[in-house]
Amino acid sequence: MKNITIEIDGKKITTEEGTNLLQVARDNGIDIPGLCYHKKLTPTGACRLCVVKVENMPGLVMSCTVQVKDGMKVTAFDEETEQNRRHTLSYLLSEHNEAYNASYEDELRPLIRRYKLEKPADRPVKPIWQNIPRIIDDSSPVLTYDSSKCIKCFRCIKACEEVQGKGVLSFADRGISKYIVAGFGEWKNSECDGCGECIQLCPTGAIVEKPFRGKFKIDTVEKKVITTCPYCGVGCQTEVFVKDEKIVRIDGVEGVLPNDGRLCVKGRFGYQYANHKKRLTHPLIKKNGKFVKSSWNEALDLIASKFNEIKLKYGSESLAAYSSAKCSNEENYLLQKFVRLAFGNNNIDYCTRLCHASTVTAMLKQFGDGAGSNSIQDFETTDCLFVIGNNIIETHPITATYVKRGKAEGQKIIVVDPRWTPLVKYADIWLQPKLATDVALLNGLVNIIIENDWVDKDFIANRVENGLQAFDELKAITNKYTPSYTEKITGISQKKLYEAAKMYATAHTAMIATGMGMSQQTVGTNNVFSLINMCLVTGQIGKERCGVNPPRGQNNVQGATDVGASPVNYPGYIPVTNDENRRKIAKLWNVPYENLDPKPGLTTIEIMNAAYDGKIKALYCMGENPVITDPNQNHTIAALEKLYFLVVQDIFETETSFYADVILPAASLFEKDGSVVNSDRRVLRLRKVIDAPGEAKTDWKIIIEVANRMGTDIGNYENAEEIWNEVREAAPILGGVTYQRIEHEGIQWPCPTEDHPGTSTLFLEKFNTPSGKAKIIPVDYQPQSEIATEEFPIIMNSGRMLYHYHSSTLSRKSDILNAYADKSYVIMNPNDAERLGIKDGDEVLVCSPRGNLKTRAMVRDEVLTGEAFMPWHFHESPVNALTRSEMDPQSKIAPFKYSAVRIEKA
Amino acid sequence: MQREMTSELIKEILGKYPGTKDNLIKALHELQETNPLNYISPEIMEKCAAHFRLTKAQVYGVVTYYSMFSIKPRGKYHISLCKSPVCSMMGSENIFRYLEDKYGLLPDHVSDDGLFSLEKSECLGRCGKAPSMMINKDVYTGLTTDKIDEILLNLKSKPGK
Repeated sequence: MKNITIEIDGKKITTEEGTNLLQVARDNGIDIPGLCYHKKLTPTGACRLCVVKVENMPGLVMSCTVQVKDGMKVTAFDEETEQNRRHTLSYLLSEHNEAYNASYEDELRPLIRRYKLEKPADRPVKPIWQNIPRIIDDSSPVLTYDSSKCIKCFRCIKACEEVQGKGVLSFADRGISKYIVAGFGEWKNSECDGCGECIQLCPTGAIVEKPFRGKFKIDTVEKKVITTCPYCGVGCQTEVFVKDEKIVRIDGVEGVLPNDGRLCVKGRFGYQYANHKKRLTHPLIKKNGKFVKSSWNEALDLIASKFNEIKLKYGSESLAAYSSAKCSNEENYLLQKFVRLAFGNNNIDYCTRLCHASTVTAMLKQFGDGAGSNSIQDFETTDCLFVIGNNIIETHPITATYVKRGKAEGQKIIVVDPRWTPLVKYADIWLQPKLATDVALLNGLVNIIIENDWVDKDFIANRVENGLQAFDELKAITNKYTPSYTEKITGISQKKLYEAAKMYATAHTAMIATGMGMSQQTVGTNNVFSLINMCLVTGQIGKERCGVNPPRGQNNVQGATDVGASPVNYPGYIPVTNDENRRKIAKLWNVPYENLDPKPGLTTIEIMNAAYDGKIKALYCMGENPVITDPNQNHTIAALEKLYFLVVQDIFETETSFYADVILPAASLFEKDGSVVNSDRRVLRLRKVIDAPGEAKTDWKIIIEVANRMGTDIGNYENAEEIWNEVREAAPILGGVTYQRIEHEGIQWPCPTEDHPGTSTLFLEKFNTPSGKAKIIPVDYQPQSEIATEEFPIIMNSGRMLYHYHSSTLSRKSDILNAYADKSYVIMNPNDAERLGIKDGDEVLVCSPRGNLKTRAMVRDEVLTGEAFMPWHFHESPVNALTRSEMDPQSKIAPFKYSAVRIEKA
Repeated sequence: MQREMTSELIKEILGKYPGTKDNLIKALHELQETNPLNYISPEIMEKCAAHFRLTKAQVYGVVTYYSMFSIKPRGKYHISLCKSPVCSMMGSENIFRYLEDKYGLLPDHVSDDGLFSLEKSECLGRCGKAPSMMINKDVYTGLTTDKIDEILLNLKSKPGK
């Protein structure tokens, strides 16, 4: 961009050519009024309040529609422009109902005062709004639209279309009776998913949110705190409004990454759990089979003595802990330190093992790093996006907004998913393979890529270990995956395979987003190997806007592993088995190096299996709910029942805490300081918004108390920042990230030193493997050990939905999220439903060799014949009663996506 | 009474149009004309949205913008009788009254047999031969009560679907 100089009211301003005149003026303190313009939206020119005079342009022009040119001379304020604005504003007011309940920021009211139009008598245009048909749509669970307050500025329509990529809103009718509609005039039956972007951008209170409306006045809000959203791994920055120690509103923070003000329905409206009456407020100890309130002293003493007693009696290997992707970096760091020092082993793991363990295993082997290689904005700017096994619109709604915006600008999208997901609506190609045939599919694509010579030989020669020799080895394996062979296994037509291979391989830049559909299989690691092979032969990594990204499920899945909540790695991905690493960590922790166990610990499912086998006797479970989230629920429950001692530290009683001996009340993410790391490796701040209820405590403080009482010194810290500074010393990739540096906006690791800007794209120069090169790892397709049989003829897939979150301990505490979805269902193909005599909405029984459940049938052609899908958020229909604990041998992940079942009418 | 058009027929008609949004209005015209209830039903809008890859509100916005589309069922013959000043002066108010008294036709209502509906229309541009009206796509001018009887009788005796 060229730097130019313009003049506004005699003030010389240097700016970039082509930028928006109104924005330039405002950025330089020249407060030209305007209601329809918003810097996130394309200019509309609807309200006509931003009129200015530009030399050599006739008449008054709307500054929001002018792009600046060198030497431009602008008059923003003189009698004529101000008179004109006053008259226009009066016009707007004549059609506007000025009733105001003070619960929202109204951009119109300050202008009324500014132009001295408070008194109706002073207004040149008389009111007519009472004569215009008034439309009120109150049907949405989250908002109300009132046409009498609407100035038809287009902001909500554009917020929905341009910012969120949904296009749910439009004008209905015409002329003066024009109004905003969602759907066919009823919000509730429209495609609106309640993200509230329109509420945040509405300037006049025509669209206002429902929760707490009329319960508080916006200028009596006691504080607004910026913190990271507690839900998924996007890490949206939110501004939380507090009144009387209650969260009363959440807005997105404009102008900072990763979300630039955007939120989804969970982030904006799913906060009710924090102030929920069912929050744990006191420690509970199980006495004679019943939980009774206890003091912290009693509970902590009991835990410390039991842990010590079991360690003494059964050896240190009889203890284990589950860490939490819902806790801060600082807390996960302390818990792993606690396990390694107080338990004296490495038995610490958490739910990452159940989500991207296989992805990370493959990425570590092939790239040397397990994290996403790109930044969130790249999802918008890359030329081609290959989305595989990743229902990104529902699971990472804000990442998806970037994708949809990219699509609007001409991005190509390939969706690979055995079931229909909302992204299919935006896709250029949808490949629908049979479940668990991914390796065959990807090898087949590689075959086509090689046959058509869409291979990047330079990249392979220079950046892949053993270069073209490795490529030949891959070719030897993929040779047999001819289009017809691949079609036979996957069920995808050869034409579509060809088109997808061409689109990805020949794109100028291409990125991959891979999700649970790939990872949660017994061949999860192989799936990702074959995916990365495709990426490497085409050279679609190692440059800007290219790479492989596994969007992370929870808001701190990335961070928990980064700071060492892992049975194999210390903070910063430093293997525990390496002698030198142990010495370094021992020195930092000020303990004899012999105290650190060199043996890798047990992984999540291995811990549960060891409990079942009687080898693990005590488990410390921080913020996890394995009864719902682990595979094979009956097995999990049996394992928990066999434990001698189970501590559950959580913010609510959960399905797991039912089996605990002690339940400790923890603080929610709204109640603590700290940090998290999101899916694009961005370290983001958590800030305390409200006090924890009752006697509930921050997790890290509890961990220190337990350690102290066990007689183990894991350090004394005044605050989260002190812990973080120790994390920086332990993990070189985080070394340069100080709280001060991330005060305003997060920094992406690796960031080794304080003068390092952070890393937006990985692997530009080299890969993080010892050789600095990536690895091709050829793999063959393996059929599943579990197959459809006469008794269990349907293959069940499982996954998430937009409105709920994992075991839904948090999301189902929200009336709003429940209003959108509060019932479990199973999606079945119409062919299967007909054969089984099942109709849409029927109650059905689903049985697998492991267990069974009841749910409702949803008959849709979104899944293939012989396959079915269920969301796993609903404890009353727990999908994991059906799944098995067989593991991917390389990553120990369980096959949540593949269980043979029988479905029958209940 | 007339019946809603079938889902199959909607799909058949949409099948003739490429799925790009520039075809929406053409398709809406054909769908409304083919619909025995002479309007754009929610199902039609729903199927148009899916076919043209639009959202419901985007289709609804188009349908409600143009006065020739209706989101309420109408008669097989939809009468748009002009209410603008010239036609009024030339007797259209009498004709509205006549339609109500003799045929029971009220604005925004459909006759019991489903044949006729009536709308108070803005100017049709035929002021020179006022009063004027349109029935579906045909224009009638110089209206008198006799002429109305003749036109309606004629339409009634037409073989219908």
